[in-house]
Amino acid sequence: MLKINHLTKHYKGSNKGVTDINLAIEPGDIYAFIGHNGAGKTTTLKCVVGIHGFDEGEILINGTSIKENPMLCKQQFAYIPDNPDLYEYLTGIQYLNFVADIFEVSAEVRQIRIEKYAEAFGITASLGDLISSYSHGMKQKLALISAMVHEPKLLILDEPFVGLDPKAAVILKDMMRELCENGGAIFFSTHVLDVAEKLCNKVAIIKDGVLIASGNMDEIVKQGESLESIFMEVACDDEAN
Amino acid sequence: MMKQIKTLTKLQLQNLYGLNVFRYTKDKKKKQKAIGLSVVWALLIVMIAGYIGAAVFGYVYLGMEEIVPAYLIMLASMVILAFAIFKAGSVIFQENAYDILCSLPVSQTAIVVSRFLRMYVENLLLTLLVMVPGIVMYGVIVKPTLSFYLIGVVVTVFVPLIPITIATFFGALVTAISSHMKHKSLVSAALSVGLVIAVMAFTGTMSTMEEEFSVEMLQNMSEIVTQAIGDIYPPAIWLSNAMLKGDILIGFLCVLGGLAAFAVTVALISVKFHEICRGLYGTHAKHNYKMEQLKKTTVLGTLYKREMKRYFASSIYVQNTIVGPIMAIIFAVAVLGVGLDTIQQTMEIPIDIAGAVPVLLAGIFGMMTTTCTSISMEGKEWWIVKSLPIRTKDLLDSKLLFGLSLFLPFWFVAVILLIIALRPGVMELIWLVLLSLILIVFSQVFGLTINLKMPVFEWENEVDIVKQSASAAIGGLGGFVVILLCMVPVLLVPAEYSSLVKGALCVVFAVITWILYQKNNKVNLQELDAR
Repeated sequence: MLKINHLTKHYKGSNKGVTDINLAIEPGDIYAFIGHNGAGKTTTLKCVVGIHGFDEGEILINGTSIKENPMLCKQQFAYIPDNPDLYEYLTGIQYLNFVADIFEVSAEVRQIRIEKYAEAFGITASLGDLISSYSHGMKQKLALISAMVHEPKLLILDEPFVGLDPKAAVILKDMMRELCENGGAIFFSTHVLDVAEKLCNKVAIIKDGVLIASGNMDEIVKQGESLESIFMEVACDDEAN
Repeated sequence: MMKQIKTLTKLQLQNLYGLNVFRYTKDKKKKQKAIGLSVVWALLIVMIAGYIGAAVFGYVYLGMEEIVPAYLIMLASMVILAFAIFKAGSVIFQENAYDILCSLPVSQTAIVVSRFLRMYVENLLLTLLVMVPGIVMYGVIVKPTLSFYLIGVVVTVFVPLIPITIATFFGALVTAISSHMKHKSLVSAALSVGLVIAVMAFTGTMSTMEEEFSVEMLQNMSEIVTQAIGDIYPPAIWLSNAMLKGDILIGFLCVLGGLAAFAVTVALISVKFHEICRGLYGTHAKHNYKMEQLKKTTVLGTLYKREMKRYFASSIYVQNTIVGPIMAIIFAVAVLGVGLDTIQQTMEIPIDIAGAVPVLLAGIFGMMTTTCTSISMEGKEWWIVKSLPIRTKDLLDSKLLFGLSLFLPFWFVAVILLIIALRPGVMELIWLVLLSLILIVFSQVFGLTINLKMPVFEWENEVDIVKQSASAAIGGLGGFVVILLCMVPVLLVPAEYSSLVKGALCVVFAVITWILYQKNNKVNLQELDAR
């Protein structure tokens, strides 16, 4: 579903970025992407969704290159950044309608989906208010609903659990599982390692822009270990030393 | 208190003109861009300094040297007032870091004064740009005494204070009134534009009074100009007398009065600061929405609606771009009311401009288009456009369509009024409609082209983009200048070739507009703000 081949991206005038990233996300995968602050998680995600260009490598979404045919790729996924800056001058329902229009979702279908997810997240009553009046968590919920409005096959999420209340976090995890059971895939960055360990079947660990481990969760986290201990071992060895 | 003011002012000035970002950014492209932009600004500064120097030389050459200081002071003050009146409210009550400042043990007065001082420093630079070349040119030719220079330095430092205080007072008043309204941005924009029109009408009345005097005073041009300056802006004369005649007492009283006005304004704003900020940035959530029947709109339609909501959500964006259309209506009403001849005489235009009305009309609209900042206005939400499947053409068409749909109703009314007033023949009617329309479309497309070339997405205050960005300067003024340049052939050719020239202008600008439009549509949105 998503293939990242030899992705290299460096910011101009800086040595920060990512180098030679290789990942493959298959249908049904919930793929966690972990690393310390500034390791290159957001850069990778932004390259995947076409927000950032990249220097080398290729990114394929269902076999289509994001560089060569971004429109076709973007039709197939939804992305939510770590800090969802949404159009504050729109109301919640106007924003959802806007996204549904862009994906050309029919009026009937969007009605059903928005009702379903807004009800689940408990923000139906706030949909008529301006987004500028929303809390961080509410914006996050709205962004999640907008991501689901066209029922994408691939979800790319940057720190999706930040700002969510416990109930919303449970709903999001259920949504993620449901999407993957229906043949979709999720690639998301997180610092909440126990959630990643319980929820995901695959994990990638990035450090200083380089992928240092990736694969099935049960292969990386052996019996009697935890993702946290593995992470501390491989990603924080410098500090430990 | 002084320590707080010093710290907060330092913070305000730290990133003035993006200096701090330039100093610390590791992005070489960003640095190169800033250097390129500095070169453009340096050229502009040299040009303005040259213009000021030449104007002063002209006055001295005509034997009117005694009006030079008053002319310089009034010019600087009026320019400051014109720029500051729209942005003072936004700067004083800027939302940026408001929450953090509220939680810190700093006084409201310190916050207000620091923001005022930021405007003062910005406008002091503008004052220096006017005063220094003017005084130098004056000094080289007239060779005044040392006291002229010494008092000149004090006057230069003082010049920005009065216009900024006036702008701050009215800006705060407009913001305070609109902060209680439901549609804050629209009310604020309407009040600001109304204020500017009132100021223009006031200065217009003053200049009419001067006309009445002028018949008796034709022999003495210096007196006429001095009287005109005195009518419009008396402090210019008082400060000028201090420089020229050593009339220090009146100059001192003027400075004292300015400082007192500043102190009173700051005190008034400080008392109401948090209340106004709460009104502006406090949010009202009804929390009572019930799902309604949703409707599907086309991609272009939904982008257009979003563009419209974005526009009307920003008072500074509305204020900056609605002045042109309103001026066009005022121009048409004036032509209808008093006739083009009277306007020509009043404005002392030596040639017949009747044939250039279509170009003039388009020029007024082209002063500031919505498109020359519409890409930058996406700001921190630009990720949405970049990550959604939106074609470049749809996005840009929505911005163009919105800009045109905003201007064209005003254009239509102005054209109808001008047709009634001028009663043009068939060909002149065709050119009035066609040429002005093509030039307005050109100015919108040109604005978009410039903003695509120099977008800025990382900004803290809308003022930075709408008022101070390179795109606003080049895209807005550039289009305006190009249109005004069209007046040259229109005014110079004999009447029998008028249609030929206007027809040629229509074709040339239609082709240029089409080429720019096609080129814009090929821009890869992913590469804008590429890092």
